[in-house]
Amino acid sequence: MTLATAAGRLSAQVQARLNGVWRPVVGVSSALLLVGSLLPWLAFSGYPGQLKSAFFLGDAGVRNYTLLLAIGCLILAFTDLPGARKAGLAVSAGALAVSLGTFLAVLNERGGLGAFAIGIILALVGSIGALLGFIAMPAGREPGRPRRRPTPIEILFVVLAQIALLAVVVYTLDVGQNDEERSSRIIGFFLFLIAVCAALNAVGVFGALSTLYRRHRGVTMVAGALAAIAFPFLISQVQDGNAYWIRVAAYIAVFAAAAIGLNIVVGQAGLLDLGYVAFFGVGAYVAALLGDARLTTSSVSLPFYLVIVVSAVAAAIFGVIIGAPTLRLRGDYLAIVTLGFGEIFRLVAQNYDDLTRGPNGISGVPNLKIGSFDFGESHTVLGTKLPYFANYYFIELLLIAFVILVFSRLGTSRIGRAWVAIREDETAAEAMGVNTIAMKLLAFAIGAFLAGGAGAINAHLATQVSPDSYTFLESVTLLAAVVLGGMGTVPGAILGSAVLIALPEKLRTFQDNRLLFYGIALILMMRFRPTGIVSSIRRKLEFDDADPTSGDAVTQAPAASHGKGMVTP
Amino acid sequence: MAQFLQQLSNGIVIGATYALIALGYTMVYGIIQLINFAHGEIFMVGAFGGLALYLYALPESVADRGYMLPLVFLAAILTSVIVAIIVERFAYRPLRRAPRLAPLITAIGVSIFLQEAVRLYFPDAKSARPFPEYISKRNVGIGGVGLPIVAIFVIVTAILLMILLQTFIKQSRTGKAMRATSQDPDTARLMGVDTDKIIVITFAIGAALAGVAGVMQGLQFGQISFSIGFTAGIKAFTAAVLGGIGNITGAVLGGFTLGIVEALATQYLSSTYKDVWAFIVLILVLVFRPSGLLGERVATRS
Repeated sequence: MTLATAAGRLSAQVQARLNGVWRPVVGVSSALLLVGSLLPWLAFSGYPGQLKSAFFLGDAGVRNYTLLLAIGCLILAFTDLPGARKAGLAVSAGALAVSLGTFLAVLNERGGLGAFAIGIILALVGSIGALLGFIAMPAGREPGRPRRRPTPIEILFVVLAQIALLAVVVYTLDVGQNDEERSSRIIGFFLFLIAVCAALNAVGVFGALSTLYRRHRGVTMVAGALAAIAFPFLISQVQDGNAYWIRVAAYIAVFAAAAIGLNIVVGQAGLLDLGYVAFFGVGAYVAALLGDARLTTSSVSLPFYLVIVVSAVAAAIFGVIIGAPTLRLRGDYLAIVTLGFGEIFRLVAQNYDDLTRGPNGISGVPNLKIGSFDFGESHTVLGTKLPYFANYYFIELLLIAFVILVFSRLGTSRIGRAWVAIREDETAAEAMGVNTIAMKLLAFAIGAFLAGGAGAINAHLATQVSPDSYTFLESVTLLAAVVLGGMGTVPGAILGSAVLIALPEKLRTFQDNRLLFYGIALILMMRFRPTGIVSSIRRKLEFDDADPTSGDAVTQAPAASHGKGMVTP
Repeated sequence: MAQFLQQLSNGIVIGATYALIALGYTMVYGIIQLINFAHGEIFMVGAFGGLALYLYALPESVADRGYMLPLVFLAAILTSVIVAIIVERFAYRPLRRAPRLAPLITAIGVSIFLQEAVRLYFPDAKSARPFPEYISKRNVGIGGVGLPIVAIFVIVTAILLMILLQTFIKQSRTGKAMRATSQDPDTARLMGVDTDKIIVITFAIGAALAGVAGVMQGLQFGQISFSIGFTAGIKAFTAAVLGGIGNITGAVLGGFTLGIVEALATQYLSSTYKDVWAFIVLILVLVFRPSGLLGERVATRS
């Protein structure tokens, strides 16, 4: 609190001093930052991105980002965009974070100021100046509703946005993959990305985009699907056929399919399920047992199209068995019971050696074969060599398409409306004649069915199933994917899964600190986006509705409310 | 019969720890309807706080003496309380009006963070660290049942703390404010209760109890590790729900029930499925009493 007040007082002082001259201050500072980004930063070579040479001679490293941020500062200062102050604060703070981070890292490594060249000093001074300038900038207008433009132009915007998203994803995955010491560049990039996202949000780009997406649903979905299909080609091209990220993408896709299933249970019907991964596990175990694995306890072998159906049905039956006695519980009591069932599933899998081979699990599950198509072979399509994980990735896209179909058809049906009614007020729903037990059971069974199908594919993808893949933490990660992405929305579940699976992989470069950062990332993402990345319109309305005056003052600006909290009208 | 009594008393000892942690869960839940998944980690952090005092602050010659135990408890309580207050202030409070599940995810993030922070930055905490033996583990016989002295100490301390807490909540002004806030925060605020302060106090009391439980865990098992919080957290949460979440007596009852069930099931059913029995009992109880043993109010906010 004292820190916040001190910052508030400081910013008031800055505002008073620089009032009126903020624009030249930002202009000069951004120019310094820009020039600094073009000059050498360090006096020695060997640091990632060759910060010793000038910008255009070789790899610019993190200076790419400060340069772009400097241009951003100039644009924000000299055009009259809505929300420019907030955006400017984000951009200049991002530039400061990148340059200061590099400065401190090198200082820590080398000790002494001799390691630095003029560029980094200019960049530091420039970003601090720009930050002060933006602090002093008057608040200006907020972004309003976007204008309606002719349909083809709007569609063009949607398509371009999807392309940009794909490009950002590919770049994010690729950045720092080849550097000797990659963490500094990855940190630099993430700081840059956060700053840019915050700025785009402040000037209303994201708000406008989500309006456009909503207006052109079909186009958005087709463009999204095409982007998803293009992804393995692009990343293979960029990384010379390196299979790593395609493998990760295949896991993301499996995970996303399960997350959409969980979304039906949690997002639609409002049943908090903390043991959802058990259904996924049932599907995987059934598929492994029926799938001709090398180290297994069964000798049955069925073709995959039967296996996936059997696995999904088995999971659904398991869901009904769990649901029937427990679904009259409400709220958090249901949550703990599902958690209990999840743990029971894991413990039984771990100890019932005759069926599950105990902690070793069932391994040597062969690659999928459908007809004569072997999923274990890589293919060359359109001149791009795709690692064999891409086969799984594509079949999972099909699975996801199916899941989305189920989700959207159900969501707008009588059943979907019954679920929403139960979620909002179970007693009222029951009074209106909704058969709550049957509907809840149906949600549970469908969620389990979808998870079972995803689990069946996962058994083949991972080539083994073992109890430690189905821990409480996995359930929690699935739930986090749903909440983080945005409850009750399909793109949200997919985005959430992608972030939650790819982020730890990307953080691998921090080795031991990986999970630490993951925890922090979860906290921060919820702090700044509690409704999720993609919040459904419905949720948004509810959230904004909830006491806009006091609620927002408390949550959004703890610093501002301090000291004048007791003022009453 | 002797065996039965033996297991029963073992169960009571395990249950005492569960109950102490469950109190924190149930109090926080009662007041802001948050399943504080990080509470198990607060328990773990407390144990490490106590250990840190022993290792780094006490002079080596006297660190092992029994009269240092109160200091160790104090250090554990302080660590837990400080961490809990920081977590409440920076992770939960900003989300007070967010959708229901957001703070749950935050809690999980906090839990991962605390676990990893201890694992990485407490010296040599990547594997279990031995905890000093302040109280002898020598068995004493009481009515045909042999119990280690430390176990008796644990039970007595736990019961004393529970009585203290009960009195505090029933009798004190702050306790009254806590009950008011848990019943209806908005009305409580209108009546002049500083609900933010009450919430912090609730977190702090829960954390203090968890800190005590952490040291007890160390005393009983002779070692602590960064991962003890997770299992203990889930068990304690189970205990809290078993008793009826939000209900303080219920948490105590649930903790002891869970401990006893576990001990008896390990003896008479199968030790490999020890944890399974605990959950089965939970499910059975909830099937017949959907809001726990002592719960009255059914949580419907979603």
